[in-house]
Amino acid sequence: MSTPAISIQNLTKIYPIPFKREKVTAVQDLSLTVEPGQVYGLLGPNGSGKSTTMKIVLGLVSPTSGRTEIFGRDSTTVESREDVGFLPENPYFYKYLTGAETLRFYGKLCGLSSAKIRDRSKELLKLVGLENAADRRLAGYSKGMLQRIGLAQAMIQEPRLLVLDEPTAGVDPAGSREIRDLILDFKKRGITVLLCSHLLEQVQEICDHVGILNHGVLIREGTLEELISIQNQTELILENATPQLLAEIHTLLGKSNARLVEERKPQKTLERYFLDVTSSPPS
Amino acid sequence: MTATPTATKHKAFSLSRVSAIASNTLLELVRLKVFYFMLLFALLIIGSSFFTSKFTFQEQFQVLKDVSLGAMSIFTWLLAVLATAMLLPKDIEDRTLYTILAKPVPRFEYLLGKFIGVLALLFIAISLMSAVFMVVLYTREQDALANAARYVPDNALPDQLNSIRAASFNSNLLPGIVIIYLKSALCAALTLLLSTFASSWIFTVIMSVVVYLIGHIQPIARQAYLDSATTSHLTKVFLALVALIIPDLTSLSLVDDIVVGNAIPMLLFVKTAGLGVTYIGVYFLVGYFVFSGKEL
Amino acid sequence: MNRRMVIAILALLVFGAVRMPYEAALEKEHKAAYFHGANLDLSLREKIGQMGFLAALSGFRALVADFLWIHAHVLWERTEWGAMKVDFDAVTALQPRCLLFWSQASWHMAFNASIAALEDPKQPREALRVKAQREYWKLGEDYLIRGIANNPDVYTLYGDLGFLYREKFQDHCKAAEVFAKAAKFHDAPVFTHRFVLYELAQCPGHEREAYEGLLKLYKTGENERLPTLMKWLGILQEKLNVPADQKVYIPPAANP
Repeated sequence: MSTPAISIQNLTKIYPIPFKREKVTAVQDLSLTVEPGQVYGLLGPNGSGKSTTMKIVLGLVSPTSGRTEIFGRDSTTVESREDVGFLPENPYFYKYLTGAETLRFYGKLCGLSSAKIRDRSKELLKLVGLENAADRRLAGYSKGMLQRIGLAQAMIQEPRLLVLDEPTAGVDPAGSREIRDLILDFKKRGITVLLCSHLLEQVQEICDHVGILNHGVLIREGTLEELISIQNQTELILENATPQLLAEIHTLLGKSNARLVEERKPQKTLERYFLDVTSSPPS
Repeated sequence: MTATPTATKHKAFSLSRVSAIASNTLLELVRLKVFYFMLLFALLIIGSSFFTSKFTFQEQFQVLKDVSLGAMSIFTWLLAVLATAMLLPKDIEDRTLYTILAKPVPRFEYLLGKFIGVLALLFIAISLMSAVFMVVLYTREQDALANAARYVPDNALPDQLNSIRAASFNSNLLPGIVIIYLKSALCAALTLLLSTFASSWIFTVIMSVVVYLIGHIQPIARQAYLDSATTSHLTKVFLALVALIIPDLTSLSLVDDIVVGNAIPMLLFVKTAGLGVTYIGVYFLVGYFVFSGKEL
Repeated sequence: MNRRMVIAILALLVFGAVRMPYEAALEKEHKAAYFHGANLDLSLREKIGQMGFLAALSGFRALVADFLWIHAHVLWERTEWGAMKVDFDAVTALQPRCLLFWSQASWHMAFNASIAALEDPKQPREALRVKAQREYWKLGEDYLIRGIANNPDVYTLYGDLGFLYREKFQDHCKAAEVFAKAAKFHDAPVFTHRFVLYELAQCPGHEREAYEGLLKLYKTGENERLPTLMKWLGILQEKLNVPADQKVYIPPAANP
């Protein structure tokens, strides 16, 4: 049994309100585990305690009680952050630095040598598709580009865990697709991902595990399949099915206890359609 | 790319992390075009000569030195307070603090890097100002020497030339400039400490200015506290609080006497500088202590 | 969080207590090295106003002094001697270690204002004009005496005072005394020790002392045998009735 990537045990965070007696409980007795290699979606409405939990895992905020660990190391220690890369919501970077300089800065913060930073920067800029913009100031980057350089900086020290806060918020469909593909690529390499997002369709596409927070309490948790599969229904998608085959299936159904809920032509997602249409040059 | 990465080792203290933050801070501050004030400085000291063109050369040199070192004091102090007051609030507001601390960077190194960035800025500023000052002083000295050679009779010339050289550059000015730097560094450390307490940078600046002013009369409070036998208990408590909390800035205010030729013995200079460095260290550490517990 | 702030304040108080004796001792050492001698009291505040006083307190003493000094020059052009004195008092209070200020303040009072007072067209009575002149001399003397009190470690103001006694008060005994103090400094100009003797020569009862001193200098060599020295040697030889065989030859040019 390997060490969990993230282990949250009975985490509680209470914020006192200055000049008032009452306090705000942001997170209440939260326990959850993210195993290595999972893509875990942490969901919840605004004010549900998602950001607080994320900040505590990253050691930016200290818990009132409870414990959080990253690969077995206490989150409140600096060492635990050797293994984590963080992409914040709304990139929080120095706008006057170029893409390459940003990677260099964060690389130095991770203790990498100049040679290592050069190599990693080249790799990562290629990976996120920003080689041509490496020498441009971040102030001139689009939102999508900022998210991508953010991903690159999060990856600079080859962390085993990535924490992504709204990675595709405000990004156009093409950019958003690229970022999701990157996340799926990371997953293939065995990197654990903790993702917070309001874009539930996208979460559904890339996450394999999901946790839902509300008012600081974890109300639902499990694999995506467990949570949202409609257990008593089965989906079959047929290609090149002849009308005769369909008639035979209908007959079979009529003889069984199962009920045909819906029969229709599956749709491409609007996103897929949009990308197909906009990716080719005008004829 | 490699397969699943493995855990990495962490260094408890890394000079390269600190210097990355320090050089980035310096870059950020320089980008604020603070060095345009250098033009103002140069104009001031060159302009001051117009007010004294009809004076004796001793008076001209005196005013030039007074204006230069006075301007150096005030500019480095202003830079120290304003640059430092913005340091943390800007990173917190822009949230760049999160991305930095999400990396394996101890808060101590972050604060140290920021502070060293400010100290580097002050060092560059004071070096530039000193260079401009010395160039202007040298030029005026050469002018005065040339004038003397033209108008002063031969038998009195050597004495006159010596007087001119004596009135112009004095090596005692150098420890004076070092003390100006230390005083501004102290104000920076104090402002950093105040910024860890305060919620807005304006409040930090105001507090820093107030402490600066009171700091110049702190010795009076200290003396009154140590001497007095007849003041009321309440007054004594008040004097004690001022004497204990407020720094003694007069101990680093030596340039007014240095600029008129008062030499500072080496041992006294070392003791004074040592006190300045101690203040800076203590204020920084106390500021770090408060910062390390701050909720982000 | 608030707990940390409280601990921080306590730490600062402790630091304050620890540094207090060190700073008190350091202040004494600074004063002994002639730092912080400026007298920033309420009378000064009256003279230079609230902003000036604040600036002076905040470590801009030198600049405030310079402003006042420039102002004094403007007053000089208008010959407002009384107002100049107010500025000089403030300037010397702010920068007691600036020899230039004491020296010039004294010069303006003793040499410029005194002449102006003597030739004052608005004062018909000569006796009063002479009295005013003498009062200005005293003001000049006062600046130098206070200047010396603040700068006992330099020869300059002693020299100025000696010059003042010689030129204005014509008090050669006092001049000799002050020049003698100046001559004690290793960096005093060479002529200072000669001036002592020249003044002593004119101080009743000290002629013999002056003569012996001048003779000693004469005997050291050719470069000491300046015209003034020779002149006084000659005068004293006559006054003291020195025997002919012990007399020194005085060239005609030097003979009075």
